[in-house]
Amino acid sequence: MQYPEPVAKLIDSYMHLPGIGEKTATRLAFFTVDMDADVVKNFSQALLDTKDKLTFCSICGNLTEHDPCAICSDPTRDQSQVVVVEQAKDVMTMEKMKDYHGLYHVLHGVMSPIEGRGPEELNISSLIQRLQKNEAIKEVIIATNATPEGDATAMYLARLLKPAGLRVTRLARGLSVGSDIEYADEMTLYKAVEGRTEM
Amino acid sequence: MQVTDLKLQNFRNYQKLQAHFSSGINVLIGANAQGKTNLLEALYVLALTRSHRTNNNRELISWEAATADLCGVVQRNAGTIQLELSLRPKNKRAKLNHIEQAKLSSYIGALNVILFAPEDLKLVKGAPQQRRRFMDIEFGQMSNRYLYNVTQYRHILKQRNNYLRQLHFHQAHDLVYLAVLSDQLAAYAAEVIYQRVQLLQKLQHWSQSIHQEISHQKEILKFSYVTALPKDKLTSVESIYQGLRAQFEANRDKEIRQGATLFGPHRDDLRFLVNGKDVAVYGSQGQQRTAALATKLAEIDLMKEETGEYPVLLLDDVLSELDCERQTHLLTAIQDKVQTFLTTTSMSDITMKLIHSPAVFRIQAGKILE
Repeated sequence: MQYPEPVAKLIDSYMHLPGIGEKTATRLAFFTVDMDADVVKNFSQALLDTKDKLTFCSICGNLTEHDPCAICSDPTRDQSQVVVVEQAKDVMTMEKMKDYHGLYHVLHGVMSPIEGRGPEELNISSLIQRLQKNEAIKEVIIATNATPEGDATAMYLARLLKPAGLRVTRLARGLSVGSDIEYADEMTLYKAVEGRTEM
Repeated sequence: MQVTDLKLQNFRNYQKLQAHFSSGINVLIGANAQGKTNLLEALYVLALTRSHRTNNNRELISWEAATADLCGVVQRNAGTIQLELSLRPKNKRAKLNHIEQAKLSSYIGALNVILFAPEDLKLVKGAPQQRRRFMDIEFGQMSNRYLYNVTQYRHILKQRNNYLRQLHFHQAHDLVYLAVLSDQLAAYAAEVIYQRVQLLQKLQHWSQSIHQEISHQKEILKFSYVTALPKDKLTSVESIYQGLRAQFEANRDKEIRQGATLFGPHRDDLRFLVNGKDVAVYGSQGQQRTAALATKLAEIDLMKEETGEYPVLLLDDVLSELDCERQTHLLTAIQDKVQTFLTTTSMSDITMKLIHSPAVFRIQAGKILE
């Protein structure tokens, strides 16, 4: 006995999502069959909208409904600083802090030859063009993750940008705020001691 | 430190095992293929989360079981710790005192073990990767920083080799990115090499006295770390780093041609010198074994120096490989000092008479017979 075709296709679709295997996909598919038609319609529309209504900002590469994005087109933001992040969702995370008022640039990943991503695959050339065109930008803050790939990408950008006379900085690493030293692992502590600051 | 209790479930041929061990010498006795070495392996895996015999978790899990569970109670100076490790074919979960450890590096080191198997007697003469593995495993247990640096090093090495291959096949062209990878690799490589040199010096200190005793004061054992950098560059992390960077720079085209990283800890080696001569080349079999034995025994003392406690010693069928005199040295070195597990097929060996009050466990078909 095989599943009717619509159900089989739906199971297959759910399986494209991360963390979902065949069993979970089957459960979700049968749940969908029982859902109200309206809800399903909204659900499918929401899925389609991510493709139809969203584009990447032509300036910073962030996800947006209108190009250029709200941040790039906001004249009140500090035009002298750019934070470089790996993913569009990192922009949201930085914005939650509410204390940074500069601009962003989204790389869409980090360099990792094993996964077939070199400098050409990232949104780097548009960053260079942007910096050449826009003389107001004085500082580039690199906020890639503290992984070996994030570090390599940061070092690469620093090599490209520093000769142009820009200030290039990297986020500090060390203890997280509100945490006990007791629970920090050795390497975090080691980095925290290395990056200690004068009081 | 001591392992006082061990529980196994679905590990190799142990469906269920619960054992309480002595703090002295534990003798595991049994015929061949009954599970003596599997029990030693269980202790090794419990300490290091990986086996010395295989990289495939599936082999460690009993037939028809989905997970293998290991649980041990370790008595340390600071108190008792409970270690739990669940192995699945594709992953593993480690807990310390019931708290899951997100990073295996924070778990490794809670229990320190030194394994001594017949292959280890070939440490001197065997392939270079055996000696690199020896350094990585033993130093990694003593220093979290070493473990971290070596893990990062291997990861970046893979990235760099991959990129060199892409450059070789003209799939990539960015030499600035190669330079970044070289710098990144050199930074971790420098840490690894520096720590290896430092720890080898300490290991040499301990092994010299042991070696002199076994060789009746006639011979002096020295270690020499073999790397492409000149000796005078090995004095600080910074000078190793600069030296490696210069090598990467000078050999860039060669490395691209070969599509591989040609310098670094993964190419280095360790040489054993007795009275200034390389034992692997000029030494007799007996001298090679003595050097290996002295090195292994020195590890016990070095681990005590670095971590403040003696490790647990696992001797897999080693006694039968050593002559009476070396057996005596081995046993007097560990007696009343180090908790030891040793496997043997018979109690009739003369050496057994040297062991005071051993705890004897008879092993048959994956069970301990009382």
